[in-house]
Parts: sequence; C-alpha cells; structure tokens
Amino acid sequence: MRKFHGARALSLIHRSWRMRASRTFSHSLTRSLSTHAPSPFDPSPEHRHLREVVRDFAEAEVDPQAQEFNKEEKFNLKLFQRLGELGLLGVTVPEEYHGSGMDATAACIIHEELAAADPAFTLSYLAHSILFANNLARNGSEELKHAYLPKACSGELVGGMCMSEAEAGTDVLGMRTRAEQTGPEEFSISGHKMWITNGTLDGSTTGDVFLVYASSKSPEASSSSSSSKSFSLFLVEKGTRGFTLGQQIKNKCGMRASMTAELVFDDCRIPAKNLVGKEGNAVYCMMRNLELERLCLAAMSCGIARRCVETMARYARDRKAFGKPIGQFGQVQRLVADGYAKMSAGRAFLYSVAQKLKLDADPSETNERMQTDAVKLFCGEMAKSVADSAMQVLGGNGYLADYQVEQLWRDSKLLEIGGGTNEAHQKNIMLDFLRKQVIEIP
Amino acid sequence: MRALVGVKRVIDYAVKVRVKGDGSGVETAGVKMSMNPFCEIAVEEAVRLKEKGILKEIIAVSIGPAQAQETIRTALAMGADRGMHVKHDDILQPLAVAKLLKAVAEKEKPDMILLGKQAIDDDCNQTGQMLASLMGWPQATFASKVDVEGSNLTVVREIDGGLETIGMKLPAVITTDLRLNEPRYATLPNIMKAKKKKIDATDPAELGVDVSSKLQTVKVVEPPTRQAGGVVGSVQELMAKLKEKSLI
Repeated sequence: MRKFHGARALSLIHRSWRMRASRTFSHSLTRSLSTHAPSPFDPSPEHRHLREVVRDFAEAEVDPQAQEFNKEEKFNLKLFQRLGELGLLGVTVPEEYHGSGMDATAACIIHEELAAADPAFTLSYLAHSILFANNLARNGSEELKHAYLPKACSGELVGGMCMSEAEAGTDVLGMRTRAEQTGPEEFSISGHKMWITNGTLDGSTTGDVFLVYASSKSPEASSSSSSSKSFSLFLVEKGTRGFTLGQQIKNKCGMRASMTAELVFDDCRIPAKNLVGKEGNAVYCMMRNLELERLCLAAMSCGIARRCVETMARYARDRKAFGKPIGQFGQVQRLVADGYAKMSAGRAFLYSVAQKLKLDADPSETNERMQTDAVKLFCGEMAKSVADSAMQVLGGNGYLADYQVEQLWRDSKLLEIGGGTNEAHQKNIMLDFLRKQVIEIP
Repeated sequence: MRALVGVKRVIDYAVKVRVKGDGSGVETAGVKMSMNPFCEIAVEEAVRLKEKGILKEIIAVSIGPAQAQETIRTALAMGADRGMHVKHDDILQPLAVAKLLKAVAEKEKPDMILLGKQAIDDDCNQTGQMLASLMGWPQATFASKVDVEGSNLTVVREIDGGLETIGMKLPAVITTDLRLNEPRYATLPNIMKAKKKKIDATDPAELGVDVSSKLQTVKVVEPPTRQAGGVVGSVQELMAKLKEKSLI
C-alpha cells in the first residue's frame, strides 16, 4: 500500500476523494458561495452547512447514477433512503414526528442542490417530502401524523399525492374522483388519478402511500343542495382493497428516473380516520401546500440552470475553434452571460420569497400566492432557456446524453407543466390582480 | 475517556489554487474553504470510538481566524461534543500549533489526541509528531486502523513497505491516514443540534504560548509549466536526441 506524502500524490487522492469529485467541474466555478456574511441564499450558518452537505452528497452519490436510472426509467430507492439517513426526507416535518423541522429556505436549498445532479430523482423527492410529508404534517390529525410521518422521514415509506386526472389538470376542481361516506366510520373513493409521481416504485404495483383529493358533498351542502361541490383529502395506503396501479406512464420526455403512474380507485373503502383535514376542506390543504410546492419546483429549475451555466462556461473556456477558445466569440459570450444573468435573477427571486413563506400560516391570510406563482413561472422558463443555451454552446456534444445537458434540457420542460402549468400561474396572477381594488405594487 | 481532535480550515481540496500576484502566498479571498480532509478522518474516527462506547467526550479544537468556528461547527455536526477556538489571524508554523495544542491539552486533559497526518495546504506533516514529543506521549502516525482496549492502544500504520502494527499505552497522539475510514455526511438534524453546542474561545496570549516563528516566507511561485514533448520515429533517433542533449 502506498503512503501519500507529497502534494503531487495528494492531488491524485483528491481526485478520488470520497469519489465525490466525479464531476469536478461543479466545484471551481460555483464554490465561492462560502462567504461568511449571511447571504439571501443561505440566511444562517446552518443553511450554508446544509447546502454544502447536500452539494457534496449530490456530486458524490446522486450525479453518478443519474444517467443509468434515467435511461432505464427506474427509481433509485436505495439512494432515496440515503436521503432519509441524512434527515432530508422530512425537511419541513416537525421534530416530534422525526422530521428536521426546517423552513421553506432549507427545502429550496435541498431541491436546488439535488436537481443540479439529477432533476428526476429530485422530483420524486419533492413528491414525497413536500406533496406528501409536508402536506400531512401541516394538515393531518395527530393519529395520522404519528402513524405515517416517522416512516416517511426514514424512507421506509415513499409517499405521493394524487390531484390531477386525465381530464382535470389546471382545472383541478373539475376532478371526477368522488368520495362518499358509506358508513359512520367509512368512505368509499372511486376515480382515476393521472401523472402521479411515485405512483409506482417497481412498475407493477402502486407506490406506498398517497394523499388523495376527491370531490365530496360538504356536510352542510348535503342537507340543502346536492349541487354544491366540495373536496376532501384522504390518506390511502398501498394494499387497500380497490386501490390499484392503472399503468406506469413510460416514455416521458424527461424526468425519467421519477416513476409516474395512473392510479385507480374502484370503490376503495378507507376508514374515516384517514381523512386529512376537515371533510369538505381540502381546498384549504391544497392551497396551503401549493405555495411551498411551487417554490421547490422553482428551486429545481435554479439547480438545473446552475449546472447548465457551469457546463457551458467551462466548455466555452476549454473548447477551441478557429484557433481560440469559443468563449472569445461574441455569440457564445451572449449565451453564457445571458444564462448566468437569468439564473442569478431566478435564484435571487426564489430565495427572497422563500424567506417570507410561513409553513404554518393560513393560506387565506398570506400574500405570497402571487409571488410563488411568479417565481415558478419565471424560473421554469428561465431554466428551459438556459438549458437550451447550454446545448447550443456545446453543439454536437450537447446533443449527446454523455454531457448531461441533454438530460437537463428535457427535464427542464416539465417545470413549465408540472405543479401548475405556466398558463395556470398566469391565470392565478391575473385573477389576483382583478380581485384587488387598487392595483399597486408595493 | 476524552479525546481532543484538531481540525484545520484549509482551501477546499477541489479548488485550483492560485498564487497571489505579489508572490506573498496563495489567493484565499473568495475561495471555498473547508475542513482539511485528514482532519475529517480524525473527527470520524473519534465519533466512531464514541459510538463504540470507548470515548465519552470529543472536543474539536481549531486554531485560526474567526471563520475557523465554521470548521468547528462542521466537526460538531459530525458528532463532536464541544469546541475550542484558539483565535489567531496569521499563518502558524507546525511548532507553534503543537505548542498551542499542548496548552489546550493541559487544560482539557484528554486521553488521546487525534490529528490528521498532515494538512493539504502546507503538507508539513509535523504537528502530530512535535505535539507527542512536547507532551512526552507516545505517537502513532499514519494510522489506518485504531483499536482501544482499556488503556492499550493498537494502531496499524501505513508505511512504505506495507503495514506496521504497533502497541502503546494511552494517553497518546494519533495521526490519521487516508484509509482509516470514510467520513460521514453531517445529517440535517445534527447540523441543527451543532448550533446549540458550546464553542469556547481563547488565544495564544491567554494560553501563554509564544507563536512567533523563525521562518520567513521569501517567495511563493507557481510550479513551472510542463514543456511540450516531441515525438521520435525510432530508437536510433531517440538515442541521438538524448546524446545531443547530453542526457546520456
């Protein structure tokens, strides 16, 4: 065995250090984050430490597996459970349910750093930790929280959320899945849910546990008028009779290492204690969770954009044409510089809103809705255009899977569709303006 | 049992180091800094000894400017119990560091001191040896395996010819080599817990240590860039070239 003494030998070790330098390019360009004054991106030393740990982990363990799992359209359960060991799966879940009890900024940091390495894996993380765990932690009963959150925080259970249907996406309240009370302590759910992230983990059975939105008669409405529609939220676990996998949705453009499914509820009987929040009050739960969801999706866009800027800047420095680095040409300078400027604007916007978001607030009393809509709207388009610039700078190489930009380019598009289409955000923002008596931006 | 672990803040291993324009040292402004990788291994080993029930308390000590506290926090998030920050803004030579660690050890009375075998900035590989000598303690350098049984310490060392196993009595100084362990990532709950752990502060004057150095840095320069090579067509041509350059 060799003993390493000199600096030269050490530089060899460093290359294999914890294997985390597998894509060493991420380091030199962006690692100047670690200044000591609190930054909007890392408001406390703990946030900064979290970012460093997640970035190290992402480079060492998430990045190397991305290409294989995306190609195979498989979910990396083992790696996902490593996130549990690091305390990341329940980032916003209070400590009494084995979560980490952190804020929206911490959630954004994790999503941003993971997405720079593998957006698809990060999407599965989001469906679990935000759509399932955070939603249950904020809206569920004590009994449900104690029963499910510790297992969700460890990674023993992988969760998801069912809202969209084949004919109800942006028009979410047009959903057809219905819940009816079939006994004093029992509900029956029937309907089909579509594009469910983590809907299956193996391609042949449902995922582990879901929060399911369904329309129901509100208790008040049932006595007066039957046409008044309301919505309720239920927790449904794998193995419940009448709950099955419709199909794994394959051949997605991007986000391929995150498994998507159609889930079928056919007279699925669940106990009344699985009701999350009050009966007929699911829109409240939905609104409460959507703001954080939008921020985390925007954070994924920022992570994609960071990796794309790093990659194209490095390529523009190293690749030569006509006898000089292509970064010396104005056309390339414009792509790299504009990409950097857009990414910086998106990140600054994201973290300014994340700092204001209060996870336990009543959604009807907060003013962040327009801002969270706007952040995701801006960052989704931003990442897509930065990824496109990166592919352009890399030319023929950018079009190959080996350079990762090709994957990021495909993945980035989802963030203009999933968790709210651009059009949904535009609608929300305009309608919020119309609701104001005085249109004035403070 | 109590352990003192030294942690040094250095330029991150992945950063491409650049020499300052005036040749007075290397550029550190705006450069990513992190814990010396060998110190990370020392912290990890201490935490493992604590998990085995051998250690009761781990004290992470760092000598450096205010930002060295971040390095201590990293050690606390990995599992050290409390920190000690010896404030000093200038570069220190290994002998001064060893004297400061000795002063801290006399105060804290540890049963072992764990240090990285060297720091990746100056590559000195001297502090552990000097400290053991100053303390009058046995030393186990380049450790790739550490076993503690009662007051007996068995260490496997990485040496040029292979592995050497040595035994000694505690207290002792151990310096850690690359293959001793693979350091863990700090978990998010432990990052939060580290915030509440105590870091005491002191400085060389309070410890009564003279840290002045007899060494003076004359000049720091970039390594010479490698000259382009040439291709020869045959052994004869190669021999001719070598003779021409008077290399054989």
